[in-house]
Amino acid sequence: MTAAAGDIGRVIPVGSEFPVVVLAAAVLAAERVSGVLVGSAALWLRGEPVSVGDVDVVIDPGLPNLRRLHDALARLAVRPTSVPAVYRLREISIVTVFSSYGRIDCMLEQGRCDWQRLRDGAGYVSIADAPVLVASAADAWALRLKFRGP
Amino acid sequence: MGQRSGVGLVELAILEVLDALRGGRSWGAVPCDKVLTTLEHEMDLDRKYAYQVLVDLAQPWKLPAPLVDGIGNFGGRGDDPPASPRYTEAQLSPVGEIALAAERGEIARVPIGMINGNTHREGIRPPFRPAAIIDAIRQVLSRPGLRGAQITTIVGPPDFITGCTVTGDLVALAAGQHAELGLHARVTVSDAGHVRDREFKTAAPGHRTTLLTRDPGDPVIVIDKLPPYSNPDEVIRSIADRAQGQDWHRRHPELGALTRLPIRNVADLSGSRGGSWFVCVPSDDAPLEELRDQLLKVHGLSIYITTRLPRPLPAMIMTWIRASQDEDLPGSLTALENALAQQQDGAEY
Repeated sequence: MTAAAGDIGRVIPVGSEFPVVVLAAAVLAAERVSGVLVGSAALWLRGEPVSVGDVDVVIDPGLPNLRRLHDALARLAVRPTSVPAVYRLREISIVTVFSSYGRIDCMLEQGRCDWQRLRDGAGYVSIADAPVLVASAADAWALRLKFRGP
Repeated sequence: MGQRSGVGLVELAILEVLDALRGGRSWGAVPCDKVLTTLEHEMDLDRKYAYQVLVDLAQPWKLPAPLVDGIGNFGGRGDDPPASPRYTEAQLSPVGEIALAAERGEIARVPIGMINGNTHREGIRPPFRPAAIIDAIRQVLSRPGLRGAQITTIVGPPDFITGCTVTGDLVALAAGQHAELGLHARVTVSDAGHVRDREFKTAAPGHRTTLLTRDPGDPVIVIDKLPPYSNPDEVIRSIADRAQGQDWHRRHPELGALTRLPIRNVADLSGSRGGSWFVCVPSDDAPLEELRDQLLKVHGLSIYITTRLPRPLPAMIMTWIRASQDEDLPGSLTALENALAQQQDGAEY
């Protein structure tokens, strides 16, 4: 099985070596949550040699999208009660939930500050038949540097 | 950490307080609330954090050598949290007594820190089998020329107590390098007859078995020996959720096929004697080996942790022995061994 490349022009194999947690990003996309995948998962999909421990998604700050995000996380989370209410999603910086695929970090503050620029630089990668918006390698590295240091 | 036991400083402080509060009695449980108040007054230690550490020290699926005996509800592996410290009591375990005796110089050093590691508190040093560490030290004491590779072989891989499978670059770990370890539950294709037998053996008296009505030859998938840091209740919810249909499956059938587990039912058969174990009843015609592999990818049935030893494993053992050169190490090792034997209850986790 493969994940067909969108506008980044690569074919990503979805086999035994495929980090399972990346499927969480595909499920969010399938749930119509608008977000840009950043962090190690984005770098891995861009072909960078990194190990993927979780998925980090910068979230489109629009209210309808936050509603979809809330509902999607409530279905994905192993502790649905840990998902903050929609009005809280408009205020907090980050939401972390654990799903059956692994850890998902939704970066809300980053979305409020930087959504359009990240969106403009991103491209789609289809994981199975779900198109996932993935940040450019430059943006993904820059954010990783910002949050994890050199 | 404590130089003579390798036990962490906060952990050691808890042991000291448990000892002080029992007021000279050789045996005596102390209300946890009182322990936390003392730690707060004397060390300004946050009560919530201190209670978490105290509870960890008593949970036998987290530490090969628990330092505390918990009395009352100290929580379970799943969603069952410990009771408030107002309702629980704690006392030093036999190994806890040995750790304190070593720290006070009453006996020689003991390798409790090396055995327990600190991954149970999100550290990077993994735990090892107590008998293996003790044996390795004894062998080096009797054969000082033992080579590093031999010492590594004696110690063996990290041991995470529950019997979960450990994968990863164990050579790198033994060499003192970073190693990403995978901890995996045991997932086995079996049949309803075997499950019924096992359930019958491990169920508490009066417990009604759940699979008696199934044909003994029907295939089932048995899950047990979960990694110590995963929550069985969350795992079973994850499996049940992944077996459900979702609205988006119609829009993305390929992703749906990749993520949906072909399972008809999942049952938690964990009992007081048999540890955590679940049984999944596959959908008709589900490819069993494929389903087994899919299940192993569910978060909680496999978890990944970063580990690193402070130095290569053989050097760690040799340095530890050199630091205790003039002491009665065989004596303290025997004392530790006896303490461990007192604590082993044969329970499965």
